[in-house]
Parts: sequence; C-alpha cells; structure tokens
Amino acid sequence: MNVILSLAVATLFGVGAFLLLKRDLIRVIMGMILISNAAILFTVAAGLSRGGAPIVPLPEGTNFSDPLVQALALTAIVINFGVTILLLVLVYQVWVTHHSIDQKTLREAEENELAEFEKHRRGL
Amino acid sequence: MMVILPLAITWLTAILLTPLDGRRRWVIRVGMAGLLGSLLASLWLALSVFESGPAEMLVGGWEQGIGIRLRADALGAIYILLANALLLFALAYEERVPLQEQSFPALVMYLAAGLNGLFLTGDVFNFYVFFEIAMTSSFILVSYGQGPREVRDALIFTVVNLLGSVFFLGGVAGLYHVTGTLDMEIIATRIDTVEPASVIVIAILIFVAFSLKLGLFPFHFWLPAVYRGIRPVSAAILSGVLANIGSYGLIRFGADILPAELQFGAPVLLILGMASVFYGALLAISRTNEREVLAYSSISQAGYILIALSVGGAVGFTAAILYAVINALNKTLLFLTSGLRGSGAGAAFAIGAFSVAGLPPAVGFFGKAALFQSGITADSLAFVSLVVLGSALSFVYMFRTYQRGFWANAMEESQAGRSPRLFIVLALAGGVLLLGLWPESLLAATRLAAAGLLGGMP
Repeated sequence: MNVILSLAVATLFGVGAFLLLKRDLIRVIMGMILISNAAILFTVAAGLSRGGAPIVPLPEGTNFSDPLVQALALTAIVINFGVTILLLVLVYQVWVTHHSIDQKTLREAEENELAEFEKHRRGL
Repeated sequence: MMVILPLAITWLTAILLTPLDGRRRWVIRVGMAGLLGSLLASLWLALSVFESGPAEMLVGGWEQGIGIRLRADALGAIYILLANALLLFALAYEERVPLQEQSFPALVMYLAAGLNGLFLTGDVFNFYVFFEIAMTSSFILVSYGQGPREVRDALIFTVVNLLGSVFFLGGVAGLYHVTGTLDMEIIATRIDTVEPASVIVIAILIFVAFSLKLGLFPFHFWLPAVYRGIRPVSAAILSGVLANIGSYGLIRFGADILPAELQFGAPVLLILGMASVFYGALLAISRTNEREVLAYSSISQAGYILIALSVGGAVGFTAAILYAVINALNKTLLFLTSGLRGSGAGAAFAIGAFSVAGLPPAVGFFGKAALFQSGITADSLAFVSLVVLGSALSFVYMFRTYQRGFWANAMEESQAGRSPRLFIVLALAGGVLLLGLWPESLLAATRLAAAGLLGGMP
C-alpha cells in the first residue's frame, strides 16, 4: 500500500512539475493543480491507522482509518479550489492585458518595458 | 479571551468591509479603525505576555489535547504588534489618495486576520490554514492596479508561493505522521524520540517553504521581478509584512519545534546566509532601478537572519528576531518612500538607508550590533568580517540609490509639490528613529522571546 501511494504521489508531482515548466499558462495551472493534489494525497497517506470508515458507533475490535488526516485533506482541498479559481482569474487578466497566455509574449512585454525604462532614465 | 481578540477584531472588520466599496474614504477609515483596535489589543496582549508569560486559549471549549490551541508567547506577541502596525501604515498610505480598487481595504484586513492567526496559533495545521488565508489575500494585493505588469507579477508570485505552500503542507503531514499530533508543544517534546533521518526530510521541506517566502538565495529567483513591477504599497506589504511569515516560520519551526535539526543544519544555513548576503548586496549595487535595488537588498538582509539563526543560542536567536523586526520596518519605510519624491521623502529615505546600513541613530544599528555580538559569541572571524563587509556594501547601494533618486532629480521634482502621503512616510521614519534612540523595550522583548524559545515551551 505504501509503495502504491508513494508511486502515485511521485507520479502526480512529476507530471505537475513537468507541466509547470510549459509556456502555456493553462498548462502551468494544470501543473499547479496536480502538484497540490500530490500534497493532499501525501497528507492522506500520512494517516496513522488504516481500516474501515471511522463512523460512530464503531464496531468493537475492528481497525478504523484515522479521521483526522481526512479532515486535513478536506480542508486542503477546499483551499485548493479557492486558489485554483484565483489562478484562473489571474490568467484571464493576463489574457485581457496581453491578449496572449503564452509566457514568451509575457517575457517580450517585460523586456520592452525594461527597455522603455532605460530609455527614460537616459533621457533624464 | 485576550489571545483571540486581535484575530477576532480583524476578522470581523474584514467581513464587514467585504461588501463595501473600498474606493470610498470612510470605508478605508473603518479598516484603519479595525487595524488600530487590533493593534491596541495586541499591545495589551503583548504587555501581559511580557510580564506574566505566555497566554493560552482552547478554541471552541474543547478539552485539552483535542481542541486547537491558540497560544501567545513573546515571539508571537512581537510579530503581531509589528504586522498590525505596519499594515496600519500601509492602509493609511493608501487612504491619502483615491483608491482604484474597491477590494483593497477588505483584502488588507483579511491579510491582517491571517497573520494574527498565524502568529498566535499553537497548532501546525492551523498555521497552514492561516498561512493560506494570508497568502491568498496577498496574491490579490500584488495584482493591485491591474496593469499588465502587476498582473504578470501577481501570476509569478502566486505560482511560486503556491509551490511553497505545497512543500509546507507536505512538512505538516510528515510531522503528523512521525509524531501523531499537530500541537506544536507536543511535537517539540515527541520529536526527540523519532528517527532523525525522517525528521531531517521534514525539516528541509519546511525550510524550503519559508525560504521561498523570505526570498533567501537560492529561492529568491521570483523576488526582484515581482518587486520591480508592483505598486509601492503592495511591495511594502510583501517585503515588510509578508516576508515576516518566512522569518517567523524559520524561527518558530527551527528554533522552537526542531532545535536538533536546526543545529544539525547550521553549517548549511551559514553558507546559504552568507551567499544571500553577498549575492543580494552585489546585485543591488549593479541595479539602477530603485525598486530593484530594494528587492535585492531584501535578499541580502534576509541572509543575516539566517546567519544569526545558524549561530543559535540566546544571543543568536535574539539577533535573528531583532533583525527580522528591524528589516520589516526598514523595508516598509523604503518601499513606501520609493513612490514619492521631494525633500521630505528624501529625508525619510535617508533614515531608512541609515537603518539598512546599520548606522546610528536609526534602529538598524542595534540589529547590526546584535549580529556582531552573535558573531563574537560564535568566535568566528569570518562571520564578523562578513557583517562588516555586508554593511559596507549596503551603505554603498543605499546611498547610490538615494543619490540617484533624490539628488539627480531634485530640480524638476521640487515643482511637484508635497505629496499627501508624505506625512505617513515621515511618521514611519520617525518611528524608526525613535526606536533607534530608545531601543530598550525592543531589545528586552527580543531577549525575552529568545529565552522563551530556548526554555522549550513553558
């Protein structure tokens, strides 16, 4: 079980990191989502006990899974939702201001601004 | 009751301000009143903590060991005082001219609530939640202005800091796995019995998360680009208030919860700290954009905090806390001033520059003095000479910036007249100066906080 979980966490994180390095901002966000989910899966995997669902009344003598990590994971998932929406809004704003979501365009825009600044400074 | 008061005041004000139009002046004033109330509550809390030791509260009336614990010790008290005061200055700075964005005051209040919670909680997962609340509001604050540059920088800032949050969440899950609890106090006692190899991995995860926040070398790559493009007030909030999460986290998790790992990693911290100090200072000298110089200066100054932490002991921790406080004050002052011109703003900038370079009578002198003291305690010649050299470099870049910004353009800017924001900046500069002239209470408070860290959790 541990091996499967760690493999899953590693795969999610690896694919996420790969996407994070892409030029397309939507892919970057997909990468962020995958990496966050890797962390959530890791949280669930950190549970101290495994077994049936921890619903009261608990049958005597059976193992039940740690409910605390599930509460933690749920909180992290909710936070993730909010932050993902915020990221999408930011990408939309990038689209509105730059008419592109390609990081190359953003880089060019930044370089142009720097060149403007230099020109302005020398002009003074 | 006393412990939850700063958190409750800021939280309620934030909720109250959310539906209101923040472009109106009275709305900002309500926000300022909320922050002032929270500042007074923190002052009350801090005075009682300094006098009679840490205050505690169990949330929701749960039993000991089940409920989440809020806990104010001297370290947390110093940080909430600092955060509330600096946010009040930032909000007052924006109050002087009509705002462009209606969500600004509410977001500042959410940020204050997140920070108050973060500095007062005694539970690591609760820390993560407040951390996310503070970060999420700061993501939006960075994009304040909504211009192309701001939006671009907000995106970089958000993605990088989310990565930091993911690492931190991993660290929290790891701490829970090895100790079976989320309470900081119990983790600190149980961590000694855990196999060191697994704790080191967790310590590294947490270290990376907070270093990203603080902008230490080599986790600084996002910082200059972001600070260059955003508004002065957002930059002041980021480097004066938000970077405190990084320094608080390093001190709290390093010195308080994982002291053995901190000691084990001390040589690495020393090397990274030195690299930060020099890398930041040299690049700051090479830059001409005022905001960029300040950004690299932040990297350099953060290095000192790390070096002081690596020395450890009462002297090292005192220096780390003191330096973190002073750095937050300096950077807020300088970034707020960086948007202004004229002789008054020049004076405020000069005071900030004195403080960064560690010259009396500004408060920065005592930060540098504490660093010297920890260097001498560590009996390390390299350390002492490093602090001297770093100070000399910071003197060079700060005064070159001053020259470029306030002397070169003096002629044409004098016609611009007085900025309504000047008063706020001068008040903050006056605070830096006053703390430098009467530093006793600040020094005593940091010493008390360091003693609290070393004594374990009483």
